Amino acid sequence: MDRKFFDRFDITLFLSVIGLIVIGIFAIYSATQSSVNNSGFYIKQMTFAIIGLVMVIGITYLPPRYISSLSYYAYGLALVLLLLVLVFGRTINGNKSWFYIAGFGIQPSEFAKVATVMAVSNFFYKGDEDNQKFSITQLLTATGIVLLPAILIKLENDTGTTLVMLSFIIPMFFFAGVSPFLLFAVVTTVAAAVLAFINIYYFAVFLALLILALYFFKKHWLLSAGVFLINVIAGYSVSFFYSKLQPYQQKRIMAVFDPASDPLGSGYNVIQSKVAIGSGGLFGKGFLQGSQTQLRFIPEQWTDFIYCMIGEEFGLLGAGVVILLYGIIIYRLLTNAYLSRNRYMMLACVGFASLFFFHMFINVGMTIGIAPVIGIPLPLVSNGVSSLMSFLLMVGIGMNTYRHKDIFLS
Amino acid sequence: MSFSRERKKLKGVSWVRREAKIYVSIGVMAAAIIVLFARLVQLQVVQQQEFGKESEKNSIKKIIETPARGLIIDRNGKIIVDNRPSYTLTITPFQFDKNLIDEVASLSGIDPEEIRNELADAKGTNRFNPIKIKRDIDFKTISYIEENRDRLKGVSYQVESLRFYPNKFKASHIFGYNAEISEKGLNESTENYYRQGDLVGTTGLEKFYEKSLRGEKGSRLILVDVNGREVGAYNDENNDVKPVNGSDLFTSIDSELQEYAEKLMGGRRGAVIAVDPRTGEILCLVSKPDYDLNAFIGSPDAKEINRMFNHPEKPLFNRVTQTRYPPGSTWKMMMALAAMASGKITPTTTISCPGSFTFGNRTFEDHGGYGSIPVVRAIEVSSNVFFYKLGLMLGIQDYHDYSAMFGFGSRTGIDLPNETKGLLPSQEYFDKVYGVNKWSQGLLVSLGIGQGELGVSPVQMVGYTAAICMNGMYIQPHLVRKIYNSSTGIETPVEVKKRQIDMSQKYFDAVKKGMYLVVNGSGTAKNIRNSDYVLAGKTGTAQNPNGNNHSWFVGYAPYDDPKIAVCVLGENAGWGNMFAAPIAAAIMVRYLSGNSADVFNENAKMEVND
Repeated sequence: MDRKFFDRFDITLFLSVIGLIVIGIFAIYSATQSSVNNSGFYIKQMTFAIIGLVMVIGITYLPPRYISSLSYYAYGLALVLLLLVLVFGRTINGNKSWFYIAGFGIQPSEFAKVATVMAVSNFFYKGDEDNQKFSITQLLTATGIVLLPAILIKLENDTGTTLVMLSFIIPMFFFAGVSPFLLFAVVTTVAAAVLAFINIYYFAVFLALLILALYFFKKHWLLSAGVFLINVIAGYSVSFFYSKLQPYQQKRIMAVFDPASDPLGSGYNVIQSKVAIGSGGLFGKGFLQGSQTQLRFIPEQWTDFIYCMIGEEFGLLGAGVVILLYGIIIYRLLTNAYLSRNRYMMLACVGFASLFFFHMFINVGMTIGIAPVIGIPLPLVSNGVSSLMSFLLMVGIGMNTYRHKDIFLS
Repeated sequence: MSFSRERKKLKGVSWVRREAKIYVSIGVMAAAIIVLFARLVQLQVVQQQEFGKESEKNSIKKIIETPARGLIIDRNGKIIVDNRPSYTLTITPFQFDKNLIDEVASLSGIDPEEIRNELADAKGTNRFNPIKIKRDIDFKTISYIEENRDRLKGVSYQVESLRFYPNKFKASHIFGYNAEISEKGLNESTENYYRQGDLVGTTGLEKFYEKSLRGEKGSRLILVDVNGREVGAYNDENNDVKPVNGSDLFTSIDSELQEYAEKLMGGRRGAVIAVDPRTGEILCLVSKPDYDLNAFIGSPDAKEINRMFNHPEKPLFNRVTQTRYPPGSTWKMMMALAAMASGKITPTTTISCPGSFTFGNRTFEDHGGYGSIPVVRAIEVSSNVFFYKLGLMLGIQDYHDYSAMFGFGSRTGIDLPNETKGLLPSQEYFDKVYGVNKWSQGLLVSLGIGQGELGVSPVQMVGYTAAICMNGMYIQPHLVRKIYNSSTGIETPVEVKKRQIDMSQKYFDAVKKGMYLVVNGSGTAKNIRNSDYVLAGKTGTAQNPNGNNHSWFVGYAPYDDPKIAVCVLGENAGWGNMFAAPIAAAIMVRYLSGNSADVFNENAKMEVND
């Protein structure tokens, strides 16, 4: 293979992806090998990984306009599937988000993430990156494109994936050219609400920093004062509404932010997961040697809690390599976004990078006790065909962006 | 071409701006990754020893503690459903040596193959969790396990509480049984409470009040070593959740009356229900044939259980609440009230009652001719012609609406599961079954005497009878008065629905007078007249296309100050006054005499003219 080939084939991205998948398959094998019912999971994961990687290469060589012109169809299909799953779906672990076709569980919400990013990219395709004059209608429509599937997923009782859907709005708007000040106002308002809820002192410090930031934005003082006021109101109203909730509702919300307050529910898993990762040390206990993993202190750890198995058996080395590989993947997706002359591809890569980042940060953070317990998979690693295939779809489009980075097509 | 124009634009300032945005994004990502790394280093390097120790020597294990179920108590404070401790043989797969299977099998008296299956089923779950092999093993087996503890590794036992019925009666359909939760039950339960092997109320009060009776499971977090042995409590038991005892049910059952009623019914098929009409409290409830609740306790014998389920006489079926029968002549008070309240007749209207009635080209028979008689007399002698005519006069709309006021066609709300609504026909019903305009008013003739497409359950009938004797006060029949939580000391009275049926007192007086005369005049149940208590009631003999007639009696006593209302049904038992009336009378007298008098006379016979 010559230099020219690698000029058009993002080998770094491709190899990082394969690396994560391989680690994932080992982890799934270790987590399920002592189980009678699930010991075949790793074979299934391996099979679909191969199919998926072939798909990635296929997508890489597609003309970009095929991808962009498919966006709205993919989005429409995702909505239909989400509606169908609401009516006919099967409930697993409290989420009604599964179809069973010929013995395979399929989660339309995983596919919806990709399709929604594509639809938003397509919506901003024609926009102007420099003259950020988006009408209110345009902004609301773009937000609506995301909210519609997000609401359907929330109706499936899948809060984790709903939050995931909201994670890429701000980054994509930012790159689409929406006024940074507007986005800043939105982000700070959400942050104010969350911080005021967690701790009133955090909230105070936050407000001080906010004043500083507003000063540097150098906007009209009335505008700045307005943003500040909205932040204060957001913070206070959250505390106010929280105090009006029933104690059991408060308890449920607290359990998300502070798992230790619910030691038998989500807190139990976090305690066990921290013990597993912490006991792994620098180099881990060795493949198949993790007592926490092998003795099944954490239920179903081949899915959302797979990272604690990696931490226990492969230690800081393994756990660090996994995070590093995510760093590389996200970095490559952002670089490809930067290089692309195709606005659609640029936005799609930003959306996918956000998805990888949010999934990775929340999932890993949850297992080491610094993020709320939200049931979302670790991309390319957790057991699950739907999740694996949808992330590989994103990788494929990212690879395609790199290959066609010099070509502009409208 | 738009291509070059767009490209020019893109070539402008945007590259610089884009670069800035990329830097911001990479900065955010890098910061987040540093946070994750820092935390990993903290856990895996700084605190490694601490966590390592915890995971190698001690791991946390959650032990579920199931509380004893709540008790069931009769109206006099006597415990009628109790608990007893029992021992359940368990095997912990992690420590268990498969060569011991045969020994354990002979010890517990179950097939070695069954133990292998249980162990195979448990694969994929935590191997430290004991599997329940057999419930209710005897003390000899326990001693044997204790003596051979070192050799029988992984074989142990748990203390569990099982139901115990200290009664001389069965009341199987009241209490119901508990059984291991089915796979279906596990999947359908949305509250994530039950685990495989849990006992759950499956029928009767056990099912209806499952959530109160079961209490709330607790859990203990314990530290176990690598071999799964308990080494102490986790976090000084601060994270433990104490189980909450099941709440006790204080019922209105009169144990002695229940025992008496079951004895009277003997081996017959049928149903008895008695209530206090002033409160709706159920005093006794019998459905025959019944079954032995003890058969469901411990490790039930599958063959025996199957035999019960498949028995042609359906002993598990509660005939008081789950079946519907035509009420026959016991329906006549309903017709009389409906006809008077809708203004079709007055208490003094007389109707000519020859020995038969012809509608269209069909002739409907009666057991005698009575001349022109008013409604009171018609009830007393149970004239059929009188009520054929009332049926026609009423029309289907009033027929349905007034009957619905007395609870027919809907559930009474008795606190037992799977109650039937019965069948109360309406215009819509007949239109649906026969087609619009395709059915004749002639259907109303049979419906007038409680035959035809009409289905009522004994509990509906007792509610109706109680409402009549209380002059229209309809009270939901119920078994449980209050629920008592022994952990918190909180008593929750059970909410009972009451409603006053809006009808003139005159009409109730006329109907009650008729019921009085049935027993104390020249009526159809003269045979049960009692010298100590004034009984009132009505016999019924419901024709049954599948066999002998069903025998009905509804009644109450004392006539002027009702304290008990009763409904007795004998399946295929013939005339109402032959089977049902003597039993009903005996129950009423027994109750009013403070459970002492026994006036039941099996051979009380009289001429048949229902």
